[in-house]
Amino acid sequence: MQNKFKTLLAVAAFSLVIASCKKNKEEVNANEVITTVQLQLTPVGGGTMLTYKWEDLDGAGGSSPVIDIITLAPGKTYNTEIVIFDKTKNPTVVTSDEVRKEAIDHRFYFEPAAGSNITVSGLDNDPNGIPLGLKSVWTTGAASTGSIKITLRHYENGGKALADLINSTKSSTDAETMFSTKIQ
Amino acid sequence: MKQHILFVILLTAYTAAFSQNCAIGLSGHVTDSDTRQKLVNATVSLVETGKTIITNEEGDFVFSDLCAGNYTLKITHVNCDTLLRKIVLSKQLHIDVSLPHAVNTLGEVTVTSLKGIQNTGIKKELSGKELEETRGLSLAEALSKMNGVALLQTGATISKPVIHGLHSNRILTINNGVRQEGQQWGNEHAPEVDPFIADNLVVIKGVDELRYGSDAIGGVILVNPKPLRHQPGYYGELNTAYFTNNGEYVFSGMFEQQLKKQPAFSYRLQGTFKQGGNVSTPGYRLNNTGIKEQNFSLTTGWNKKNYNIEAFYSQFRTTVGIFSGSHIGNLTDLRTAIDASQPADIFLGDKTYSIKRPNQDVIHRLFKVKSSFYSGGSKFNVLLAAQYNHRKEYDVQRSSSSNKSAQLNLSILTLSEDVSWDHPKVNNLQGTVAVSSMQQDNSYSGRYFIPNYFATIYGGYWIEKWAKHRWELQGGIRYDFKNIATKRLLFNGAPINNDFNYSTLASSFNTLYKINDDFRVNAGITLANRAPYVNELLSDGIHHGTATYESGDINLKTERSVNIAASLNYSNKAKTFFADITIYNNSINNFIYQQPKPDSPVLTIAGAFPLLKYQQTNALLRGTDITLSYYFFQHLELTSKVSILRAYNRSIDDWLILMPSDRLSNELAYKFKDKGKLTGSYMSAEVATVFKQTRVPSDKYGKQDYKAPPAGYTLLNLNASTTINFSKLPVTFSLGARNILNKRYREYLNSFRYFTDEMGRNISIRVKVPFEKLLH
Repeated sequence: MQNKFKTLLAVAAFSLVIASCKKNKEEVNANEVITTVQLQLTPVGGGTMLTYKWEDLDGAGGSSPVIDIITLAPGKTYNTEIVIFDKTKNPTVVTSDEVRKEAIDHRFYFEPAAGSNITVSGLDNDPNGIPLGLKSVWTTGAASTGSIKITLRHYENGGKALADLINSTKSSTDAETMFSTKIQ
Repeated sequence: MKQHILFVILLTAYTAAFSQNCAIGLSGHVTDSDTRQKLVNATVSLVETGKTIITNEEGDFVFSDLCAGNYTLKITHVNCDTLLRKIVLSKQLHIDVSLPHAVNTLGEVTVTSLKGIQNTGIKKELSGKELEETRGLSLAEALSKMNGVALLQTGATISKPVIHGLHSNRILTINNGVRQEGQQWGNEHAPEVDPFIADNLVVIKGVDELRYGSDAIGGVILVNPKPLRHQPGYYGELNTAYFTNNGEYVFSGMFEQQLKKQPAFSYRLQGTFKQGGNVSTPGYRLNNTGIKEQNFSLTTGWNKKNYNIEAFYSQFRTTVGIFSGSHIGNLTDLRTAIDASQPADIFLGDKTYSIKRPNQDVIHRLFKVKSSFYSGGSKFNVLLAAQYNHRKEYDVQRSSSSNKSAQLNLSILTLSEDVSWDHPKVNNLQGTVAVSSMQQDNSYSGRYFIPNYFATIYGGYWIEKWAKHRWELQGGIRYDFKNIATKRLLFNGAPINNDFNYSTLASSFNTLYKINDDFRVNAGITLANRAPYVNELLSDGIHHGTATYESGDINLKTERSVNIAASLNYSNKAKTFFADITIYNNSINNFIYQQPKPDSPVLTIAGAFPLLKYQQTNALLRGTDITLSYYFFQHLELTSKVSILRAYNRSIDDWLILMPSDRLSNELAYKFKDKGKLTGSYMSAEVATVFKQTRVPSDKYGKQDYKAPPAGYTLLNLNASTTINFSKLPVTFSLGARNILNKRYREYLNSFRYFTDEMGRNISIRVKVPFEKLLH
C-alpha cells in the first residue's frame, strides 16, 4: 500500500511541476540590436539638412535592409552627425546616446571608395582626445558616383588608441554600413 | 629523453618508500538476504588483489596477510545478485554480508550467476583507477579517455563528447537511468552532468540503447552511480583536486548511510564545488575563460523483499566565461582574428577567477522516482522523471546599457514516464517489454535562435537476450512517435506556428560467441532513426562564436542509420596480453549537417555573415578502435590505443567536415608492490599523438572553412598515485600532468583553433579520503 502512496505522491509532484510551468513570452530581439544608422548632413553656409539612412527593421535575416543613396551637391562642405537607433524597442532606443556616453570605447571609421570625391575630416574626439566620429565634416568634389563605408568599432575591453586601424583586433564591429553616393 | 629521466627519478622516489608489515585479516559471513540462510559456495573476491575464496559450509570466508588500504569486495552466488562493496581496511575486520536474491533465478538451477545479461554490442567502460584520474575534469573530458571518444570543444572550458565522429543530439546521455534532456543541440552546449555522481561511465552501442530511444545513432553514454548502501553503517568520501594551469580547485563530498533500526531505508548525499580561473596557453593567458560549478544530489531508497523505491534529485549549475577575443562582430572581424598569430594583448594576461561577459550560466535540475515490484519471477519497473534546464547566454554589451539580463534565455522542461516489465526467465531467455512517453516544453526569451515548442513522444520497446554455453544472442525493437508543435512569437508580427510529426523505428541484433574463455567475438547490426531537432528545422540567426548565420530547413526528413559493428576480445593464457578490437561501418541516410553557402552571405547592419544552411546527405562513417596491452612483467604494462575514422559525404563524393582525425596513444604504467603503509601505487607516462586532419571537404563547392586544419601534435602526460594508510584513514594521493612539455598546439575539433592555442602544461594534485563505519 505504501508504495502506491509514494507513486501517488510522485504523480502529484509532477502535476505541480507542470502547473508551475510558465507561459511563453513574446520574442525580444537581442538588446543592443542596431536597426538604423542615420546620417544628418547640414550644408555649411545654409541650406536644409539632408537625412539618409541604412535601416534593417527586422534585424539579421528576414526582409532586406532599406539603404538610401546619399546625394550631395558638388564643391560643398557638410557638418555631418550620425544617429543610431534600435527601433525594435518601444520606445525607440537612441543607441548613439550610449555610444556618446562610452565615447572612449567606440570609434567610427569612414572609408569613401576611390573616385567618390568625398573627403571626411574633422572627427570629434572622445574625452581622451582620440577620434570618435559621431560628428564629422564632409567635403565634396566634382560630380561623381561612388560609395562610402561607415563602420562603428567597439572596444569592449577598452584600450582604444590613436593609432588603431579599423581592423584592430582590440575591437569588434557594431555596425558596418555601405552607402552608395552620388554627387550631382 | 627528458621524459625518460623524469620517469626514472619518480620511480626511484617511489621505491624508497617506508615499510610496514602487511598482515591484516579480513573475515566475513555471507547470508541470503531473503531467506536469512548462510550461503555456501559463494565466490568472494578482492578485486584489487585478484584473490578469490569460496565460502565454506558455514558461509564464512577469511582473507589473510592483507595490507591496509581500499578494496572492492565482489561476492557472487548462483542464486543471488552480484554484490560489490567498497571496504576500507586499516585493522583486523569482520563483516557480515547479506546478498539480495536474484529474481530471475528464483527456484531455478542456472548456469549464469550474472544479474541480467550485459549488453554485448560495443561497450566501453571507465571506472576505478582510470575514472579517478579524471576527477575534476568535465564529463566529456573524462569520456575522452576511452578509445574512440574525442572532444568537440569551444575553448578549454566547454567540451562535448564525440563518439565515432558523432555528437550532440546523436548521442544520448543517461544520467542515473534518465535520458538527459538539456540544450544539447549546440556545439557550445556541454552536457549538464556532474561526473562525481558516477561510479562508472559506460558507452554502449547495441541492443540496450533501445531502452533509451530510437535515435541513438552515435551511441549511449551511461552515467552510473553506485547502488545505494546495503549494509547498516555509513560510508563517505572526500575528493579534492587542484590544477595549476588555471588555479582550478575542486571539492567533492559524498556521504551515504543505512540505518540499523530501519534496514529498508538508505540514502546518499553528494555535492561538488569547482572553480577555475583564466586558462593559460604556453605563450599567453586568455582573459575571461574561468569556470564555476556548484552541484549536489540526494538519493534515497526504500528496499523491501517485494519492491523497492528510489528517489533522486540533482542540481547542476555552471557559469562559464567565453574568451572575449572570440566574440566576433562580423566576417571581416573573423578574418582579421584568424590572420593574427595570437589574440590582441587587450584580451590576454589577467590571472583572475572573475567571469565577465560573454558568458553562459546553465542550471539543470533532475528529479526522478524509480520503483520496482517483484512478483512471480517478474519484475515491474516504473520510472518517472522531471527535468528542468535553463540556459542563459550573456553577450558583450555597452557598459552603460541599462539592460543587465541575458541576451539568450532558453528553458526546457521535460517530463518522462517509463513502465517496463522484465519477464521471468524462460529457457535461458530474458527480456523486457516497455512503454514510455515524454512531454517537453521549450521556451525562450531574448534573441531568437530556436522557437518555443511543445513536444510529445510515445514509444515502446521489446528486448530479448538469450545465453547458452558459448553463445549469447540479443535482439530488440523500438518504435517512437514524436510530435513537435513550434511557436515563434515574433516582435511586431503574427506568430509563426509549425507542426511536425515523426515516426521512428529502431532495432538491433547482436551475437556473441565465446571461442574459449580468453577469446570472444561479437557482431551486430543496429538500425536507428532520428527525427530532426528543432534547431535543424527552424534555427535562424547569428552565431557569434563562429560569425556565421545559421538557417534551418523545415523540410528535413528523419536520419536513418544502419550501423554494423564487430569486435574481438582476446587475452593469452598467461594473461600478459590483451587485445580489444572494434570495427564499425555506420551508413547514415539523410545525414543532417551544415553546408556553408559562400555565395549567399547574409547582409546585416553589422556587416556580412556567411550563411550555413542545414542540409541532408548520405554519409558513411567507418573506422576502428584498437586497444592492446602487454605486461612485460607483472608490474610493467604497456597499453596502446589507436582510433581511426573515415567519414564520407557520399552524395557529393567528398569528406565530411569536423570529424576527429586519427589518434594514437601509448601508455607505460608501472605498478608498485604494496609496501608498508603504501598500497595501490602506480605511475604512468602516456604519449598521445593526434594526427593532422587531412580529410576535409574540398573547395569545389565554394570555400568550406576559414582556415586549414592545424598541424598534428604529440603530448606527454603523466599520472602517479598512491594510497597512504594513516592509522584508520587510507588516503589516496594522485598527481597528474597533462601536456607536461608545455607544447603549443591547436586542435581541429576546437572552434577556438581560429583564435588561440590550446591549454599549456596543467599539473593536478588530487587527494581522496574515504571513511566508513560498519554496524553489525
